[in-house]
Amino acid sequence: MAALLEAERVSFTYPDGTQALQHVTLSIPEGKKIAVLGPNGAGKSTLFLHFNGILRPQEGCIYFAGARINYSHKALTDLRQQVGIVFQDPDSMLFSASVRQEISFGPLNLGLSREEVGQRVEAAMAATGITGLQDKPTHFLSYGQKKRVAIASVLAMEPRLIIFDEPTAYLDPRSTRDVMALLEDISRQGKAIILSTHDVDIAYTWADYIYVLAGGQVIGAGTPAEIFSDATLLEAAGLARPWLLDVYEDLKNKGWLPATAPVPKNKDDLLGLIPYRSRSKLAI
Amino acid sequence: MFSIDQYAYSNRLKNIHPGEKVAFALVTLLIALVAPRPLIPAIIIALMAGATIGIAGIPARFYLQLFLVPFSFLVAGVAMIALTITSQPQASLKGVTLLGWTLGFTPAGMHLAGKIFLKSLGAAACLYFLSLTTPIVDILTVLRQLRVPALLVDLISLTYRFIFVLLATVNDIYTAQASRLGYASLRTSYHSLGQLAANLFIKTYRRSQELFTALTARGYHEELQVLEVAYPFSWPFLCLAAIFDLVLVILMLLT
Ligand SMILES: Nc1ncnc2c1ncn2[C@@H]1O[C@H](COP(=O)(O)OP(=O)(O)O)[C@@H](O)[C@H]1O
Ligand SMILES: [Mg+2]
Repeated sequence: MAALLEAERVSFTYPDGTQALQHVTLSIPEGKKIAVLGPNGAGKSTLFLHFNGILRPQEGCIYFAGARINYSHKALTDLRQQVGIVFQDPDSMLFSASVRQEISFGPLNLGLSREEVGQRVEAAMAATGITGLQDKPTHFLSYGQKKRVAIASVLAMEPRLIIFDEPTAYLDPRSTRDVMALLEDISRQGKAIILSTHDVDIAYTWADYIYVLAGGQVIGAGTPAEIFSDATLLEAAGLARPWLLDVYEDLKNKGWLPATAPVPKNKDDLLGLIPYRSRSKLAI
Repeated sequence: MFSIDQYAYSNRLKNIHPGEKVAFALVTLLIALVAPRPLIPAIIIALMAGATIGIAGIPARFYLQLFLVPFSFLVAGVAMIALTITSQPQASLKGVTLLGWTLGFTPAGMHLAGKIFLKSLGAAACLYFLSLTTPIVDILTVLRQLRVPALLVDLISLTYRFIFVLLATVNDIYTAQASRLGYASLRTSYHSLGQLAANLFIKTYRRSQELFTALTARGYHEELQVLEVAYPFSWPFLCLAAIFDLVLVILMLLT
């Protein structure tokens, strides 16, 4: 599969001397779900700011759709249309007191006509389920609702790749589920998604491919099954194993599951694997 | 202030074209200011109060509370105008005389004070009507359409939005401090308050950086372009407002 976005040996040091990225190399294929897994301070957010040209790598380079990123004004505008970022804190993303105006900002910057922008705003609100909030001022919204507005404001630009920086941080379980369902919808439309998280359960269930970042370096890459069967890698990154895998292995060791049972991808898979106890035994 | 904001988004005149409301409030305000006789501002106060309470549906209790703010200032200020202190009292001056100086009221002074009082309240009534029926977002729309420089409009817009973010931040820091007994005694209170201010500054600075990054990521260049809500013109409101202002002007010219 052709890579949509590639980072090649990217290094970045903040002016205060913090070395946030060291020789990061990774590749994001078109239309896939990629998780960047790593503890706080691993450099996830810094890496993302390189992906739409807000930060420039001090070493190495970034390729988008096969071409090296050009930092001219025109090229950056193009790039930012194709690569959208939903930042972690919606409060620092929303600048307008009006939900509609907030969402219209990005598409208007693309130089689209007002009618077209209006249609995109409607579509983005419908996709994120916030049509009912359009007349509310942003400061009266709940955190989860602000998050949706922030997502809609990026969706309205119709990017090919959307980056979600810790989308489930501070969300309650229900909002978390809603946001993940929304991500699933977006992914089904063929858009590539990068999600950063330190939640191993989400990364395991959701991702097609995982990069593990720690201390500014990529210390592991692979499918969820590969990543979470590598105990040394998990140890080095300070990550736990998903509860799903722990339960699955325990059930297998204790003989509840046949040794040939496939590794479950989510909770429903696992529940489906567990066989019924025979009725006669139950009656005893 | 928060209640004003909340009513602005939820009153019954919310969906009237903001341009009409701004024009109505400002024209009436102008009439209140130029009217030579106190009758006109008195009518304006009554009608604006009627429009705000009766038509827009703002609770009367809340409206009266709002009026207490300019009212108390005005009473103090106007009393100074009404009072006359002089050592050569004229016949019309009524008051107390002490050591050859007389402190008292003259009919002219009372009249002037009354006029200023009513004019000020009339102006306040017009502005309250506007701020209770029209969200800032809509007022900004009008400002943009009036070709007010984009920089100024953007600045007002960001200030307005970040008042709320700032207050939420203050609230968070305060709660965090108070729950660790930061405000248990006067001494710790001073200390905590200082820390709150310093912390607030740092957080605000960081937030402004984050906002700039987020805006840049969505293609920001120099102007915060947004899609304006298209309100249809409301002919009934426009006609009523025009008739009302016309009657006032005629009344002003006749008297
Ligand atoms: N604006 C900044 N100035 C200086 N150092 C920063 C800045 N932003 C992040 N850092 C540092 O860079 C490192 C990586 O941070 P970040 O990319 O935010 O990590 P993550 O998103 O994985 O939590 C951290 O050590 C952090 O303290
Ligand atoms: Mg981060």
